Amino acid sequence: MGAMKICMYFQVHQPLRLANFSVFANGSEPLLKTYFDEGLNRQIMEKVAEKCYLPANRLMLELLEKHPDFRVSYSITGVFLEQCRQFTPDVFASFQDLYRTGRVELLSETYYHSLSSLFQNKLEFVHQVEKHKDAISQIGRTGRVFRNTETIFSNEIAFMAGSLGYTGILSEGLSSVLGWRSPNYLYNVAGAGGVKAFLRNYQLSDDVGYRFSSKSWNEYPLTASKYSNWLAHTSGDVLNIFMDYETFGEHHWKDTGIFEFLRHLPAEVSRHGNLEFSTPTLAAEATSAKGEIDVPYPISWADAERDTSAWLGNEMQRECFSLLQSLESQVKESGDDELLHAWRMLQNSDHLYYLSTKSLSDQDVHNYFSPYESPFDAYMNFMNILQDFKGRLEAKGAESGRIGVE
Amino acid sequence: MLGWEFPPFISGGLGVHCYELSRKLANLGLEIDFFMPATGECSVQEYPNLRIIQVCKTELQPYYNYTKSQKPGAPRKVRFNRLTDAAYIYNRELEEMVARYHKERKYSLLHGHDWLTVQGGIALKHRLGLPLVQTFHSTEYDRTSNPFGYIVDIEKAGLYHADRVITVSNRTKHRLIAMGCPEYKIRVIYNGVDWEKFEKKCIAGPSAEKQGAAQQAGKKAKQPYFQRKRKIVLFLGRITEQKGPVNFLLAAKRVVEKYPDVLFLVAGTGDLLPTMINLSISLGLASNVMFLGRISEEDSRRIYAIADLYVMPSMSEPFGITALEALSSATPIMISKTSGVSEVVRTAVKVDFWDIDGMANKMIAILKFDTLRKAMSAHGTTEAKRLTWDKTAQSTLMVYHELVGYGNF
Repeated sequence: MGAMKICMYFQVHQPLRLANFSVFANGSEPLLKTYFDEGLNRQIMEKVAEKCYLPANRLMLELLEKHPDFRVSYSITGVFLEQCRQFTPDVFASFQDLYRTGRVELLSETYYHSLSSLFQNKLEFVHQVEKHKDAISQIGRTGRVFRNTETIFSNEIAFMAGSLGYTGILSEGLSSVLGWRSPNYLYNVAGAGGVKAFLRNYQLSDDVGYRFSSKSWNEYPLTASKYSNWLAHTSGDVLNIFMDYETFGEHHWKDTGIFEFLRHLPAEVSRHGNLEFSTPTLAAEATSAKGEIDVPYPISWADAERDTSAWLGNEMQRECFSLLQSLESQVKESGDDELLHAWRMLQNSDHLYYLSTKSLSDQDVHNYFSPYESPFDAYMNFMNILQDFKGRLEAKGAESGRIGVE
Repeated sequence: MLGWEFPPFISGGLGVHCYELSRKLANLGLEIDFFMPATGECSVQEYPNLRIIQVCKTELQPYYNYTKSQKPGAPRKVRFNRLTDAAYIYNRELEEMVARYHKERKYSLLHGHDWLTVQGGIALKHRLGLPLVQTFHSTEYDRTSNPFGYIVDIEKAGLYHADRVITVSNRTKHRLIAMGCPEYKIRVIYNGVDWEKFEKKCIAGPSAEKQGAAQQAGKKAKQPYFQRKRKIVLFLGRITEQKGPVNFLLAAKRVVEKYPDVLFLVAGTGDLLPTMINLSISLGLASNVMFLGRISEEDSRRIYAIADLYVMPSMSEPFGITALEALSSATPIMISKTSGVSEVVRTAVKVDFWDIDGMANKMIAILKFDTLRKAMSAHGTTEAKRLTWDKTAQSTLMVYHELVGYGNF
């Protein structure tokens, strides 16, 4: 039996935050400037680049050069790429450098970090996946593994990924799905053909992603040698450690020692003969599935519920989502690229995430990530923009209709 | 407990606070003698452990004038001396009366409310050797834009002599620190709300039945004429500069430009009322604004229930209990960031009182989007139920324990 494969994968994403929209605006500004807050987005991108992306990429490159067995994977959203090229070109270049080492895998996902996989009509989803593949080619070629927005996953989504030619798909190692089984194996998915599911080991992932800097954690402080010991004493074929890339320097600041942890990790892991670094595409080729999982309703890695309730849990969220969805045919018929792009940017799952009212009952991560004072403020702003968008779309439709008659 | 107002004679948060606090503390097993000016009648039933003791009868006239005019404005020049004189006389009487009662009752602690009882509190603290807790529901700086030095001095003396100072928000805490109060003395204890009193279904009770019966009889239920088809935005409070009524009207003007079918109700009275009426006319809002004047508690419950949005645009608001009352009534609330209540409530839209367009923008959104109003109502009532006076009383009891130790009550 070969060594256990460790797939470390990092989600790289920054939402395109909405402008503080006023119904009294006169509408003379271009659409994207009216809806999105360029200043704020630039500011956040530059801040996070400074704290996380640049130092983390520099360190990764160093590690890849020093350790020939070290491999990592990234899932970079199109929304991120777009902002990255515009605001922080040096971050963009550093991702290109990482890819050139040949030991970095780029995962596929939807360009707009959207919930289009949950649309009734799946064509939009397919389009967004294709568009992402195109965009990411500026950095490198994607592998053959798909990761949906926030690891939203179901039998149907796995089936779609399979039909698009992917051999693997990432998801969450939920015990309600696995039962007694371990997440550290690959699984087939009910009704999805040969596509293999990679299930996140949330215990080991969250040890780094969430608990690393928590002084009340009984394992604090976590060192690279302790952590690789835990990995070595885990059994299975593939160990999936997935987290936000912002873990390094942003969720845990530099002074928590998170970069030092990462710096020593490859060397510590290589001391254990039963561990090796891998990437999802390589692991999918080399490993066979150990069973089948059945996920009829979508799951995700978000919140305690690990379902889609972080984005579609309340009436306000569902209303915005269905309004967005209902505009699809009108947007596409308008033939207006600016409207189409804006509509897709508005599909960013983050806009819905900020509307979650879970934060009202307990202080949780929704608050931490939200640029709004409350979910109600978020709803007002998002809905005002959607209504404005709908109004423009109808005006456009009326205009082209009139031209048609003439 | 040394008070100044108590139901049914209340003119603001202080009376509600004193009533609820004493009642809940009595429930917690404390024996409380509540000293207050004699009102001639007292409709509040006494609870076990709670005695209401009326101090003096004769010098009350100024207080009533003061209450009726709500707060000083133009007429204060005349009334002010009478008010401060009355306060002085009341405090003297209070001191004598408490000292007399103490011989028999053996009090453990004195608790005064606002500047009005400060003089008596200080005198008693030294005369009887008892610890003094002083609550500030507001300061002179919150009540008026040109503070009266005499009252500020009394407040400062209170801060100096009190062993513990309780205040209703972090906002006022910082003001008290600026007035020279050492931080270690101050405890922030938020107000609560008796949500059951304002719960919509209780209020709608009999009239809803009537409506149902009328509908069964095939008749259309009669609504107040102004309510029909129009969305209602409510302002309820003293009509004075600190409460921001002018900005409310200016925002209303902006709302009506985009969304004409809105009725703005202004409940309460105060020195700015004439200005407000004139302004509403000059803004062309005569048919969109209705002034209700001073309303009873019963009416306020009804008015909360029919409002689609409650707005509290105060420039300076130590707490703002009315926001919690509206919340209990399942009415969405918009409150200024410069209010104490915005520190505790999450189901609210928080605005800058000076940002007229921002307020109007959000008012329109709330009126337009039914889903939003529903969500805010649902979460608001849940939240109001958590903000109880029991919590306030328990925190107050902790402050007492700090001074007297456990087992001394």
